[in-house]
Amino acid sequence: MEETFLLKIENVSCESEKGDSLKNISFSVKKGESIAIFGPEDSGIEIICPLVAGLISEYTGNVYYKGLSVKSFDYLETHKYRKELGYLQRDYGLISNMSVHENISLPLKYHSKLSSKEIEVIVNWMIENFGMLHCKDKRPVGLSRSEKLRTAFLRAIVLDPELILLEHSLEGQCLFSSRIFLASIKQDLISRTISAIFTGYDPRLYMDLASEYIMLHKGNIVFNGTREEFESMDNPYLRQYFNSLIDSPV
Amino acid sequence: MILFKNRILKIVSGVKNFYTYIVSIIISFKSIKHLRFRSILTTAINQTKFTGIDAMPLVASIAILIGGTVIIQATQNFPKFGIEGFIGNLLVLIIARELGPLITAIIVITRSGSAIAAEIATQKQHKEIMSLELMGIDTKLYIVFPRILASIFSIFSLIIIFDIVGFFGGYLLSMTTVYIPLDNFMMTVMEAFSFEDLIITLVKSIIYGILIPLISCYYGFMPNAYFEIPIDVSRAVIRTVWIIFVINALISAIFYF
Repeated sequence: MEETFLLKIENVSCESEKGDSLKNISFSVKKGESIAIFGPEDSGIEIICPLVAGLISEYTGNVYYKGLSVKSFDYLETHKYRKELGYLQRDYGLISNMSVHENISLPLKYHSKLSSKEIEVIVNWMIENFGMLHCKDKRPVGLSRSEKLRTAFLRAIVLDPELILLEHSLEGQCLFSSRIFLASIKQDLISRTISAIFTGYDPRLYMDLASEYIMLHKGNIVFNGTREEFESMDNPYLRQYFNSLIDSPV
Repeated sequence: MILFKNRILKIVSGVKNFYTYIVSIIISFKSIKHLRFRSILTTAINQTKFTGIDAMPLVASIAILIGGTVIIQATQNFPKFGIEGFIGNLLVLIIARELGPLITAIIVITRSGSAIAAEIATQKQHKEIMSLELMGIDTKLYIVFPRILASIFSIFSLIIIFDIVGFFGGYLLSMTTVYIPLDNFMMTVMEAFSFEDLIITLVKSIIYGILIPLISCYYGFMPNAYFEIPIDVSRAVIRTVWIIFVINALISAIFYF
């Protein structure tokens, strides 16, 4: 049953050091499918990406990737698994003493059998395609926030992952940059059939990309539906969240 | 009494943590077969440049001053005991066997050890270490291994430079106060210096080259907040210096006792 899903979260409960928790949540992601997970602060959305990436090990329930339990991975398998994921961190995590080019080519240099020349060609092509040629040799300190986002995204997809996790990736970005970024990654996600999990406070940004929407509140799933169901706003939690109402379930 | 007990508990927990860290480094060697050397090449080169090449002027100038001081003291005092023919032996004993490796190690700890700890601590706070983990990179191997390689090579080279500059620079400096014929000086030094001394220098370089980055990285991985960075960098320096003194004494006891 699990094999049809790329990722399956089954009855997971856990608590982070900061006190965020997940309570018996389940959802799944099919190949090529994108989902948006959102909710207010302390709703548990902060735990989703670290949980999927295997950064959290203390939990009940199961996380399956391609039918295999992430919990059962040993030391080497965990590294191999993370290599197969693309992870766009909240603060991008670009290596500060490396240029844009070096940051993007690092996973290839570490993991791939490609020659240095081939890596150079691939990375240059990606940089050019993403309109980053002007800052190819700049270090993160000299980049604008949108340039950092694009660099981190390119680094996350350079190994052709099947699943990419975008953790609050558009936070602090101007609306215009966010739209341009999402338009440019849409093609990449579709053409490479990459599945994506977007987490953040405002899922409306991902309307063009996500087909499923999950809202968390105090660690529970309070809404799980399609784009149409999300847009209809029939759920009281959704209505309160997007209308910023005080007297409601949240 | 409670303070003493707490202190002991703290030391025990520190030793336990360091043991866990060493075990994690050993475990990380499992993935060495997947490591492509090109990915750590830049780090190794930069570390060698910083630890080795950039430290050369400092090492050389300290070697001249130490060498000069030892020779001046020896030439002034040895004749009083009728042992002026043993100046070369004294230089080998003091500079090549003990001061060379020890002072070089202290220079490397204060310059590079502190820099390694600070760099890793800052990278950790900027979530750079986590981003490496998330790329499937074995961070222990990727961060620690190239620094160990660079440190072994740099420390060995610096000790050799320290010894050579200490001998000849010291000799030249001492010429301002005493006169020793160069051939006499050369002969006594060459006679006193043995192949064993070279082997022990190599052994010390390897041990220091492993310990300095290992301990510095350990304290680099330690801080959980920005304000803890200076505390852990200071600990990295002080504790590495202390350990190096202990190790130096142990090596001398094992090989020369």
